[in-house]
Amino acid sequence: MISGKRYLIAILIAICGTWTACTQQRQLCLTPTVASLNIASKHLITDTGTIFYDTVLPDAEFVPLNKNNGSAIVDSIIYPQASTFTISLSPASDTCRWLFRADTTGILPRDYAYDTLTFVYKRDLQFLSNACGYTDFYTLDTVLTSHTNIDSVHITNTSVTNDVSAMHLQIYIHPDF
Amino acid sequence: MMFRQCICRFIFTLTFSALVLLGSSCAFAQADTTATDSTNAPKVKKPELAGRQLCIGVDYFHPIINYFITGQGAYEIAADYYTKNEYYLVLEGGWGWSSVNYPNVLSYTTKNSFLDFGFNKTLLPRDRPTDWDKMFIGLSLAAADIHRGNAKYSIVDSLWGIDTGSKPAPKPYPAIWAELSGGVRVELWKGLSAGWTVRGKFMLNGKSFNNLSPQYIAGYGQGEKNVVFDVDMYVSYSIRWKRKGVPLPDKKTGVGDTKPTPAPDEKKDSK
Repeated sequence: MISGKRYLIAILIAICGTWTACTQQRQLCLTPTVASLNIASKHLITDTGTIFYDTVLPDAEFVPLNKNNGSAIVDSIIYPQASTFTISLSPASDTCRWLFRADTTGILPRDYAYDTLTFVYKRDLQFLSNACGYTDFYTLDTVLTSHTNIDSVHITNTSVTNDVSAMHLQIYIHPDF
Repeated sequence: MMFRQCICRFIFTLTFSALVLLGSSCAFAQADTTATDSTNAPKVKKPELAGRQLCIGVDYFHPIINYFITGQGAYEIAADYYTKNEYYLVLEGGWGWSSVNYPNVLSYTTKNSFLDFGFNKTLLPRDRPTDWDKMFIGLSLAAADIHRGNAKYSIVDSLWGIDTGSKPAPKPYPAIWAELSGGVRVELWKGLSAGWTVRGKFMLNGKSFNNLSPQYIAGYGQGEKNVVFDVDMYVSYSIRWKRKGVPLPDKKTGVGDTKPTPAPDEKKDSK
């Protein structure tokens, strides 16, 4: 029914093909493994009191704080000329704090003052893949803030995942800023 | 991207080898074109001249692959039984293991056995009743019981540090998949055959693995994927015996004794 020579050719081709398909043992992790919390800064116009618009902050600074001793984990994260910012939440705790300064280039005393953002959330362990392992997704519960330059904050999306396009928090900068 | 290239290359290879085989068999499959008026002719059931066959095979491809790929292994055996009209009942089984050890990401081990039951249908007609070479397609359903050990994981965050934890070993859980297969088998010498089977496998309960998809399931492949392709290469041995009411065909000519067996009424009449 089937000639032996052609069968041998076919088997050789199949071996080569399979060999090629099997040589890649571990897949690369191409998924973002850290859940990012995206923040937009908004500004209230004093005259109207009702109209908000996106505010490009000159040199906004975010500083993550160590939960145990309140010291900065890293020096700072500065975003020059930006109205959206990305920070992360601590996977080791259900709360974390960030310091925020709207303008690091300002000369007025209030430009040197920091606001504190305190995030309260629930953690949810998620399996991404064997190559990427596990990560924590979060459900935002509360965001507390001081009011030096921040007027208020508003949670727009409580689900903090590795979806980089989602916006989670709006920071309303004080009208006097 | 690299994986996609591999899949494309693999599909091309399989298509090409299938074309080679089809091309070779077309020449044998042509029949004389004698025109007959079959509009009113009663449909005559073709007598089943081939005998019975039970074929047991061992896959030698995966043990070879085991040697080259660290962290996983599988052994497979298969048996098929010829029923009639070129249909074969197929039963396959095997066992295997995997070990995942990605530093600072994930580490665990799994082991599983599996069973696969279905049928194969030969695509090409026999040259003679003793011709047991076959090119076939098949459909089957398979199940595996997966035993996973304790999984240790680490979540590395460049800002907040490393968070480690573990997922305790769960109760053994099932994996169920459907298989669409195709392949060839050629008799080399007196019941000893060699062949290969290409399989497309479709996971049916993949969503239940969301907690931790096994990296490798013996009999299936990558547990994270809902569709996988696999190849088995078999060496097999066939046991044959005659079908009830049909004499065993002549081994040299391959032609059966075509003299019809007398009906029970005829036997009585002759007495």
